[in-house]
Parts: sequence; structure tokens; C-alpha cells
Amino acid sequence: MTELRMAEDLQVERAPSKRGANFLIVLAAAILASMALIFGLGLRHQQRTQPTEGAAPLFTLKTLNGEEIALESLRGKVVVLNFWASWCGPCRDEAAELEAAWQQYKDKGVVFLGIAYTDTERNAQAYLKEYGITYPNGLDYQTRISALYRISGVPETFIIDRDGQISEFVMMPLKRPQLSAMIERALAKGAQP
Amino acid sequence: MKNLLRIALSLLVIGVALSAVTLSAYAQDDPRRPVTDDEVNAVSKKLYCPVCENITLDTCGTLACAQWREEVRLLLSEGNTPEQVIENFVARFGDRVVGTPVDPTLRALSLVTPWLLSGLVLLGTAIIFLRWRKEGGAPTPKASAAQPSASASVRSLETYRARIEADLAARR
Repeated sequence: MTELRMAEDLQVERAPSKRGANFLIVLAAAILASMALIFGLGLRHQQRTQPTEGAAPLFTLKTLNGEEIALESLRGKVVVLNFWASWCGPCRDEAAELEAAWQQYKDKGVVFLGIAYTDTERNAQAYLKEYGITYPNGLDYQTRISALYRISGVPETFIIDRDGQISEFVMMPLKRPQLSAMIERALAKGAQP
Repeated sequence: MKNLLRIALSLLVIGVALSAVTLSAYAQDDPRRPVTDDEVNAVSKKLYCPVCENITLDTCGTLACAQWREEVRLLLSEGNTPEQVIENFVARFGDRVVGTPVDPTLRALSLVTPWLLSGLVLLGTAIIFLRWRKEGGAPTPKASAAQPSASASVRSLETYRARIEADLAARR
């Protein structure tokens, strides 16, 4: 008799709420899917690196002298776009080299643009004065330009050819011979002025 | 000689008085006020380092942060309130300096979404729990299909017992 009762007990269980269980599964799936989407988007955003080819993102730079320079207006010229900051040690290593290269190429259809990343006007001005930099420089207002170029630090330099295409990208302090070689390569290709 | 000494002393007194007046006037013209490190840190802890991830200005040792702290000090000394200093930084360097979007809609979304999701999960769990309590509170027999199988099992047990007893009887 005892065995029989046990067998009956085993067959009896609480009735599951099927609708509730389905709702829980759908909710859990929706939350998991949302989390996966957010994670995926974040990962994708993190994995986006600096553009090394294709059209250079367009921007307008307001220089520290109050001048406005649109990248689009520089078509037909090779542009050396350098991101720097006064608090950046390696940027100081290349500052004089950049100025020397600018002096060498300024009359050869080459434009240098310096963009101070998360810098204050006072410190940026002091830096430019310290290294005697004469090419146009401006602050990256709201870090919009650095976001366009997806820079990961400073210094970073982009060489843009005469057609507005990114020719080369370097994420280390430049020496004059290396910079000259990059400019020469950019001058050699693209439309003639 | 005495007269000369008097004249020299008078000139010295006049000179000192004039320089004191000039210095005082200069001090009044200069709108800047001394700012303590505590005041700078109170603002700095609300701003994030432009170089490091998730580190506030007050605890960051980079030169970039040192420069930004000096900028905070300068702005405070010029008479800006802490809120104005933060607004100034956001205007110049973007939303990332405060860690959350300044745009009211985006800010609301970023702050409310995690709470909303948690609330939905809690609500869903509560609903399911209540339904389970309501529908499955009392023990109910399993589907009727289970019944024949129970009796079949009992029958097979009896058959098995009968066989064993028959075998035992045969041995005796």
C-alpha cells in the first residue's frame, strides 16, 4: 500500500503557469537581445579606428587667430593634419620638425593644419609660441574634429592628398625626413594643381 | 643738512604713501580672488580626464589633468560659479568631460533606461509569481493521461509479485 501511495504522489505535481512561463521567456529573451545589441554596438564603436584611406572627413577649423579654414576649400593642395596637445610630451618632440617641414613645403602646394586636442587656449598659445609654430592651428571645439577622425591619442597625423583622400596616417611623433617622404608621396599622386 | 634730511624723509614718506595707494588700486582692479585647492577639487571631481578612462580630474596625475585643474582654478578666480565652470568645460570639450550627456533628452534616456529595464524585470517577475500562486497554489493531479500509467504500473507490480511467489512455490 505504501508503495502505491508513493507512486501516486510522484505523479502529482503543481500545475505550471504556462502563460506566465512563456511571458518570462519572452521577457528574458528581449532583455538579453537588448543587452547583446548594446554590447555589440559598443564593441563596434570601440573597434572603429582612424581612417587610413578614402575621403577625409570634412570640417571647418577656427584658428587661434580667428580665421576659419574649411578642409573642402583646400582641395588641390596636400594637407598635413596634425593632432596635438600642449600636455603631450611626444607632441613636443615633433613640434620643431613640423614647423621645419612647413617652412620647406609652404610654397609647394602643401598646407599644414594643427588641431589642439582637449587643450586650453592659454596653454595652446604658449606651446605655439614656445616652438615658434607659424602654420594655422586651432582648438578642437567640443572634440568634434578628433571624433570625425577617430583619433585614439596625440600626436596623430593624417596626410590628405589633393583630391581630399586620406593618403597616409601616422600615430607617432614624426621626424622631418619621414614627414617629407610622406608629403612627397602625396604630392606625386592625385590631381595636379 | 637737517633740511636736506627732512626733505629726503618727506619724499620717502610721500613715495611710500603713493605706492601703497597704487597697489591698493591695482588690487581692487584685479577681479581675481584666491581659490583654495578644496574649491578646485570640488569642481574637478565632477569632470573626467580627457586622456584616461573613467578617472576624474581631482585624482588624475597626468599633465593634461593638471592643466585642466589650473583652468578650473583660473575660471573660479575670475568669479565663475562651479556650475558655470562645468558649463564652460562642456562647451569647449564636449559632453564627455562630465561623463553623461548634457542634452536633457539624452541625459534622461541614459539615466532612466537602466532603471526602466530593472523595473520591467521586477514587474514581470512579480506578475509571474502572482499567477503561479493563483493558478498553481493547490496541488492538482497531473494530466489524466497519467492515471492509466499509474494503474498500469501497479498492475505490473502485482504481476511481478505473483510470478515471484509462483517461482518460490515451485522451488519448495
